[in-house]
Amino acid sequence: MGDTLNILGEVFLNTISHWWIILPTIFVGLIVGGIPGFSAANTIIILMPLTLAMDLETGLIFMVTLYASSRMGAGIPAILVNIPGTAGAAATPLDGYPMSKAGKGQQALAMSFVASSLGGLLTTVIALATMPLLARVGFYMHSVEMIVVMLFGISLIAAIAAQDMLKGLIAGFLGLMIGSIGTDVIYATPRGTFGFLELYDGVPLIPALVGLFAVSEAFVIIEKRVILSEDGEVAMKTPNWRDTFEGVRMAFARWVHVIWTSLIGLAIGVIPGAGASIASFVAYQQSRTYSKTPELYGTGHPEGLIAPESANNGVTSGTLVPLLVLGIPGGATAAIMLIVMQFHGVNFGPGLFEDNPQVGYGMFMAMMIAYLFMILTILPLSRYMSRVTTVPTIYLAPMIIAFTLVGSFVPREYMFDMYLALAFGVIGYIARRTGYHVAAILIGVILGPLLETYFMRALRISEGDVMVLFSSTLGNILWVCLVLTLTLPLVFDWRRKRKEILGK
Amino acid sequence: MANAPEKWKRQIGGELVIPVLAIVFTLYYFSTIIDAPWTAQVNAFGIGAVLLILCVAFIIRGLALVARGDGSFGMANLFTREDIQTGRIWLLVATVAYCYFIVDFGFTLTTFLFLLISMLILAKGKQPLLILFVSAVMSLCGWALFIWAFDTRFPRGWFEETMRMVVDYG
Repeated sequence: MGDTLNILGEVFLNTISHWWIILPTIFVGLIVGGIPGFSAANTIIILMPLTLAMDLETGLIFMVTLYASSRMGAGIPAILVNIPGTAGAAATPLDGYPMSKAGKGQQALAMSFVASSLGGLLTTVIALATMPLLARVGFYMHSVEMIVVMLFGISLIAAIAAQDMLKGLIAGFLGLMIGSIGTDVIYATPRGTFGFLELYDGVPLIPALVGLFAVSEAFVIIEKRVILSEDGEVAMKTPNWRDTFEGVRMAFARWVHVIWTSLIGLAIGVIPGAGASIASFVAYQQSRTYSKTPELYGTGHPEGLIAPESANNGVTSGTLVPLLVLGIPGGATAAIMLIVMQFHGVNFGPGLFEDNPQVGYGMFMAMMIAYLFMILTILPLSRYMSRVTTVPTIYLAPMIIAFTLVGSFVPREYMFDMYLALAFGVIGYIARRTGYHVAAILIGVILGPLLETYFMRALRISEGDVMVLFSSTLGNILWVCLVLTLTLPLVFDWRRKRKEILGK
Repeated sequence: MANAPEKWKRQIGGELVIPVLAIVFTLYYFSTIIDAPWTAQVNAFGIGAVLLILCVAFIIRGLALVARGDGSFGMANLFTREDIQTGRIWLLVATVAYCYFIVDFGFTLTTFLFLLISMLILAKGKQPLLILFVSAVMSLCGWALFIWAFDTRFPRGWFEETMRMVVDYG
C-alpha cells in the first residue's frame, strides 16, 4: 500500500510537471473532436508521428489528454448543429440541439463541458482507486482464460457495437485471420504473406489502423462538401458570458445526475467492445426511465443532455481497465494507445503493474489531471471552439490522407507500409460503406498474434489436447458468457418480432 | 400505381464484397500452410474455419433475402455516381501517386503537390489561389513540426536536404 502511494505521488508530480503538453493538447482535442466524423482515434492517428517522436511519458500524457478532450469536443457540433462529432455523442443532440434552437446554445455547451469534466474526473478517481483490486484479476487469467476473453471481446463488438451480429463476427474473424499473417513462431513458416518479406514479421499495426480509420474516413467524408449549415455558423458567432455561467450553474445543480450517469459510463466502458455510443444511449434511456418528467426529454431538457455527456466521458477511464489489466483494448482508441505504447516497448497485460506501475497508474493520473485542467481552461474558450466545424472537407480530407499515410512510414521506414495503409484504407472504406465494423477488424488484427501465442501455449501444456480449452472453471464460465452474448440478442430479436406479429 | 415508389431493396451485392474477400483470403492462407508443420496450421485452420462458416452463413442469408424479394445483388451502397461527382476516384489515384513519388521527392514537396492537386480535384478547380496557399502553408507546417522540430523519420528529398543545409549553415 505504501509503495503504491509512493508511486501515485511520484506519478502525480510527474504528470503535473507536463502541464505544457496537457494544455495545448486539450485545445487540439477539443478542436479536432468537434469535427463531425472525426473521432479521438483518428486524432491520435494523425498526430501519431509526434507521439512516436516523444518520450514514453510525454507520449502517454499526450494521448490520454487528447482522448479525454476530443471526447468532450465531440459534443460541440452535436449541440449546436445536430451533428455528433463521434458516435459517442450520438445521444447528445437529443436534448442539446433543442436547447440550441431555443437560444440556449451557450448554456448547453457550458453544461455539457461541466458534466463531461465532472463525470470523467469522478470515474477516473474510482477506476484509479480500484485498480490494485482489478489488477489482481490478471493473475487468474492463464492461457485458456485469455483465449476466451479475446474471443469474448470480438463477440461483444459483434453483438453490441455492430448493427448486424453476423457482419460484426465476420469483421472480427477477418481481422484475426489478417493478424495471423507472418511466420509461425516455432518453425518460421511464412503464412499468407503474398510473398512480401515485409509481412514475415506479421502485419504492422500502425499501417493497419491508419488505413482502417483515417484513410477510409477521409474517403467517406468528402461526400459532405461543407460540414455545417448556415444556422450553425450563426450560432457560433454570439458569445455571451452570462449564458456560459448559467450553464455551469445548471450542471452543478444536477450533480447527483452527473454522478450516477457517469458510473453507467464507467461500467459499460470496462466491457470490451461496448463503448461511448452504447454508454450514452443507455445513460439517456436510464435517465429518462427514472425521471419525474420523462415527457420533457427530447425537448431541450438539461438532464437529457447531462446523461449522455457524463456517460461518454465515464467510458474513457473504463476502456483503460481491460487494456491495462488484460492487454485487451476495449475500443478503437484503446487499441491505438496499445500500438503506440508497444512501439515504446511497453506491454500491457497482467504483468504491467509489476513491471511498469508508473505507466499503469500514469495513464489514469494523466486522465484525472487532464479533466481537472479542462474544467479550469475550456469554459472561457468553449464559445469559439465550434468554429472549426466550418472547415470544408475539400481541405480536410487531403490533409488527413497526407499526414496519416506518411505516419505509417515512420516506425519501420518501409515504403511498403504506406501502400499497406492504403490497402487497409480501401478495405476500411468498403467495410464502412457496407456496414462492417472497422474497429472489429482492427481489434482482430491486434489480437490475432496474441490469440495464436496463447493457443499454442495452452496446447503445449496439454500436450496437444484441444479439450484444454474447457479445462478451467473460470474459462468455462467465460465460455458460457460468450455463448450467452451471442445467443441472447438473437432470442430477444426473435421475441420482439413475435410480439410485433402477434400485435398485428 | 404506376408512379408508386419502388420498394427499397437491401443491396446485398455490396455487402457480399467483404465476405467474398474473406473467403478468398482464407483459402489462399490455407494454401500457404497446407504442407507446413501442425504448429503453423492449427490456429489458422481454427479461425479460418469459423470465418468460412460465418461467410457462408451470411451468403446464404443474403441469397434468401434476394429470393424473398427483399434484397438485390446491386452495389449502390458501394459504387455510386457520387464516386465520380465528388472526385473520390481521382483522389484515390492522387493518393497512389503520393505514395509512389514521396520516396523520390521527399515529404514536403510531395505533400504540397498532393494537397494542391487533390484539393483542386475536390473543389473542381475553384479557388486555386486559396488552395495553393493552404497547400503551401500546410506542407511547410508539416515540415516545420515533424522534420525540423521533432526530427521525425519522414521521407527526405531535395527540399528537406536544402533546408537542412540552410538551417545548419545559415
